[in-house]
Amino acid sequence: MDLAVRSVSKRYKNHTIIEDISFDVGPRELVSIVGPSGVGKTTLLKIIAGIDTPDTGRVIYSEPLSKKHPVIIVFQDYVLFPSMTVKDNIGFGLKARHMKKRPITEQVERMLAYFQLTRQADQYPAQLSAGQKQRVAIARAMIVNPAVLLLDEPFANLDRNLKMETARFIRSTQQEFGIPTISVTHDLEEAFAMSDRIGVLLNRRLQQFDTPRQVYFNSVSKKVAQFLGPVNLIPERYLSFFRGSPDTAVPVSGNPGNPVMARPENLVMTEDANGPGRITDKTFAGHYTVYNVAIENHSYTVYSQDDRFPVGGRVTLQITPY
Amino acid sequence: MSWTNNRAGRLVSGLAPLLLPYLVLFCGGVMLTICQSFGVFTPLPHAGDALDAYTKILTDPAFFTSFGFSLWVAMVSAFCAVAAGTFLAYRVWQLPAKLANAALIYKIPLILPHISVAFVVLVFWSPSGILAAMAHSLGIIQTMYEFPNILYSGWGLGMVLAYTLKGTPFAMLLVLALLMRFDVRQIQTAAMLGASGMRIFFSIVLPRMAPAMHTSFIILFLYGFGAFDIPFILGESRPGMLSIHVYNLYFKHDLARRPEAMAILTMMFFFAVIFIIAYSKTVQRLENGVRKL
Repeated sequence: MDLAVRSVSKRYKNHTIIEDISFDVGPRELVSIVGPSGVGKTTLLKIIAGIDTPDTGRVIYSEPLSKKHPVIIVFQDYVLFPSMTVKDNIGFGLKARHMKKRPITEQVERMLAYFQLTRQADQYPAQLSAGQKQRVAIARAMIVNPAVLLLDEPFANLDRNLKMETARFIRSTQQEFGIPTISVTHDLEEAFAMSDRIGVLLNRRLQQFDTPRQVYFNSVSKKVAQFLGPVNLIPERYLSFFRGSPDTAVPVSGNPGNPVMARPENLVMTEDANGPGRITDKTFAGHYTVYNVAIENHSYTVYSQDDRFPVGGRVTLQITPY
Repeated sequence: MSWTNNRAGRLVSGLAPLLLPYLVLFCGGVMLTICQSFGVFTPLPHAGDALDAYTKILTDPAFFTSFGFSLWVAMVSAFCAVAAGTFLAYRVWQLPAKLANAALIYKIPLILPHISVAFVVLVFWSPSGILAAMAHSLGIIQTMYEFPNILYSGWGLGMVLAYTLKGTPFAMLLVLALLMRFDVRQIQTAAMLGASGMRIFFSIVLPRMAPAMHTSFIILFLYGFGAFDIPFILGESRPGMLSIHVYNLYFKHDLARRPEAMAILTMMFFFAVIFIIAYSKTVQRLENGVRKL
């Protein structure tokens, strides 16, 4: 099963929520749509799920959807059925299909084991942690073998240290079950970690849709680049101050004359008493150190794992490709 | 220690405006009823044993007939009111916002006194009432007196109708209050998982409404069991409702029989307490102890 979103737009009360959104999701592919809060990500998800209708455009599925192979949303707060135990929540879709008790029990037990929920089988949602609730919600969706799985802000209710682990878990689960999945999120690191492709939704429109690496290092615009993380914009006339720049510098939008975009991790710093740069500030940030380097009247941000450069020291910067 | 005492003292004095009327009027009233049922503090000096009133009542088959009949009327009317109220609340909740506002007319029977509702039932359902006249006008019956005697059939249907009419909007009010906070995405999720409308209602929506249903059932049942006004208009002499039995003993017999009336009231009070405890425990057990009523 694959799906194509074609020119989808939606307005509410004369206010455009999303406009002319188009992208494809291949079979077994995990796609993330990232964007700031309120940009219309959940509206897009509801349109794909058929809960909401687009004003223009459509969603095309390679095979017609059916009760047997539905599109299922796992909502941000999981929406588990509070009066049912974990195993009843997971088995709900199978019961709705009038399956016999024994196969339901067997399938539910397999799911409980896969999602490491066997000990919580008889507990109610109110007794679970956020991570456990999310696993129940995904298991409840996966057990009915959906045509497409939609995840609405899957990391929103999780602790910081649990987010990346969950991203990896979602990725491995999606690969295991082979179900095309669309996730909408504003957690960028997790989206990068788990997705095959990423779409950036800004100002109502899908600005870029590509692989995580491409979207991050070759953003189509300054806005996209800045949304995805800190970025240095180097005017063309200053490129001569950077080593290695002629081969590696890519101007914004690919237009010659535009500033060159370099992520802090694209810049490598070397100590050089005659270098054009001067370190103006440094901040310890755990697994790296953030330096601010001034060249002429411009300031550039550099991430380095080397903490030994002193503030005021002279350095040379080099643009390195990823 | 003194801090704790001060705090408790402040709490008691703060609650005094509520506690005093409760203690004097309710607890005092219950205590006086119990005392009088044992022949203490009666208007006339009580000559017999303390348990005389109870012995007389519990050896009188008419008491048990009345008790069973009151139970039946209260049970059926509370059940009908809760079932109708729940169904209507669900349908109103599903209406578009504009229509849902118009549906607020369901609250009208709430502001009508019980006695008015009794007369409404009488006017509509008696053999000389509006429905009989309509049936006659439409040629369904030849004379109005062919209209079935629903009000005084011996099953208390008139009272059941009146209590149901009065109780339905009350149950709706409680159920709707819960539904207003119900997350519609639960229904969307269940539908996405392939559930039919029936399964969604019984598996997802009904458990959500259950606390309001149980609460309204208890209130309506106990009201129907002990109320006087509707049975006074729509009740039958045999079998009669317990409230009418108490009224007759209290007002229509000599003062010496007042302990019997008080004994019935005492038993009705303890029955209500036992009923609430038993009902709550049963519901809690059925719901695996997840939720306390």
